Amino acid sequence: MKIVVAIKQVLDPRGFTVNRKAEKIFVNREEYIINPPDRCALEAALRLKEAAGAEVIVLAGGPERAGDALRQAWAMGADRGIHLTDKLFAGADGLVAAKLLATAIRKLADVDLALTGDRALDTGAGEVGPRLAEALGWPHILAAHRVEVSDGMVKAIVAVGKQFFAVQAQRPAVVVIASGANQPRYGNAARVINSYREWNPEVWNAADLGLAESDLKVAVEKRGQAFPPERQPGTLLSSAGELVGLLKRQRVI
Amino acid sequence: MDFDLKPEHQALRRFLREFVQEEIKPLVKQIDRTSLVPDELLKKAAAAGLFGIPFSQKYGGMGAGEMGYCILMEELGRADASTTAILGAHTGIGVMTMYLDGTEELKRRYLPDLCAGRKIAAFALTEANAGSDAASIRMRAVREGDSYILDGEKMWITNGPVADVLSVLAITDPSLGARGGATCFAVESKWEGFSAGKREEKMGLHGSPTAALKFDNLRVPQENVIGKVGLGFVTMMKTLDVGRVSLGAATLGGAQAALEAAMQWAKMRVQFGRNLANMQSIQFMVADMAAEIESLRSLVYRTAWLVDAGRPFTKEAGMCKLLGSEIASRCIDRALQIHGALGFTRDGWVERAWRDSRINEIFEGTNEIQRIVIASELFQEIGVRIRP
Repeated sequence: MKIVVAIKQVLDPRGFTVNRKAEKIFVNREEYIINPPDRCALEAALRLKEAAGAEVIVLAGGPERAGDALRQAWAMGADRGIHLTDKLFAGADGLVAAKLLATAIRKLADVDLALTGDRALDTGAGEVGPRLAEALGWPHILAAHRVEVSDGMVKAIVAVGKQFFAVQAQRPAVVVIASGANQPRYGNAARVINSYREWNPEVWNAADLGLAESDLKVAVEKRGQAFPPERQPGTLLSSAGELVGLLKRQRVI
Repeated sequence: MDFDLKPEHQALRRFLREFVQEEIKPLVKQIDRTSLVPDELLKKAAAAGLFGIPFSQKYGGMGAGEMGYCILMEELGRADASTTAILGAHTGIGVMTMYLDGTEELKRRYLPDLCAGRKIAAFALTEANAGSDAASIRMRAVREGDSYILDGEKMWITNGPVADVLSVLAITDPSLGARGGATCFAVESKWEGFSAGKREEKMGLHGSPTAALKFDNLRVPQENVIGKVGLGFVTMMKTLDVGRVSLGAATLGGAQAALEAAMQWAKMRVQFGRNLANMQSIQFMVADMAAEIESLRSLVYRTAWLVDAGRPFTKEAGMCKLLGSEIASRCIDRALQIHGALGFTRDGWVERAWRDSRINEIFEGTNEIQRIVIASELFQEIGVRIRP
């Protein structure tokens, strides 16, 4: 079985502080981590590898430092790591990211499953999973907590609101792993050391993927940015009668 | 000159920090109160490779060298002193003796299990009458056919009650005494004649099991001699030398944790209408702590570099241990002062850190011995031999 895990390297939130009044973000320590839901996705893939046998291939886009994320993934137990990097990929939005991943997955051929986390810590968009499935023409499963494979299918326990459902899809499929779905392993110190000494991620650029600038046009135009409005703390009511009285006074009812 | 850690060591630090902060830090209070580092935790640490960090991968180690080991000790030192002591006694001196001077055959026999944490090591040198005066040990090892019979007692042995393999020094030639007549042995605790006394009740480091050990006519095969017969004292001293560097790293971690906690408290605590961070007396304390820690950091990692580069490091190692233990004590004491009454309560961490840190100036060679070592090295450089 061939499992691809798409990971994103993001800024470690423990390294920056936010000043709401000044609407500024101060990066005190510039450190990068694997996006936590993607790490859960990698953990899910490694568990499938242990249970059913598989080759786990990790894909990551980003500048040179994304190599560290791939090395960490290899140290955790991934078999291959591929860095998708090119000047042309800069500023990629969800649509372009999905296109890059889909192209890479088609190039790898015979991939059974593509796993990724439900959203990135920085954008919080949560688009890549479904867009990837669309680009590949594969079914997709969202918010998966448990994943299993059996005879050509992938089965998952997914969360919808406060309920859990058992779903299944025919492989090949995209499975989007819910944040906190599992406790990702640490790996082993020897592999951490070796990930820099005897291993290197493979590097694929736009030419390797057969993509030209015209293929990589983003769909999103950034017009500005602002902090969300400050939420006022609510009022705690202790009875239905109090609520009714409040609504009456506000002429809602 | 590149003062940055190599990328693999930076990655190792991130890996270890995450493990220590997620798995060990939450258990610190429990470890102190119950006087036990849970087996579950040690198993997880073993799986992550924490029992064999510096040793070559060809023996099952993690291949991170002394640099990697100092990084481990610093990260552990930031969280819990008891776990640091268990791993430090095991790796830094227990296994290290065999790693430095054992035969290839001995290493292949013992190191894989020790590096994987399947077995725990200890270092047994000290006796009731031989602490700083290590050369006056009395334990005997009498040659008998192709074995040695060990008889005697050791005292204050960290990991003693739980060790599977111990590096032990005994006198093989009483006419020469320890210097020239002592031999180092790899002893298995499961052998007939070994017993551990009751665990010592200490001021701190409660999770680290320490006890007296008895070797009662214990037979050791000659294949288990570590280094050369008669030169065991040199082997032991060599091991202690390198062990000191990592103790410096552990105390660095403790001092760093104290600084960070003190600063967080200074940020939060408001008195006289402003937070403590805005008071000069606190600012001066924090600045002094940080300056000492920074100097210790440079010293420890440069010494680790000397070790890995195969260069002499005895003098610097002594300095690491001497300065590290004293700086950590000062920083933790300042942190206690900054936390005020809260620091004095058993609910916080400062109180435990304060009790745990005191031993650093005593074990692994007292700070007085470190000063003698440093002075000896210095005077030797100008042709003066100091009598031991």
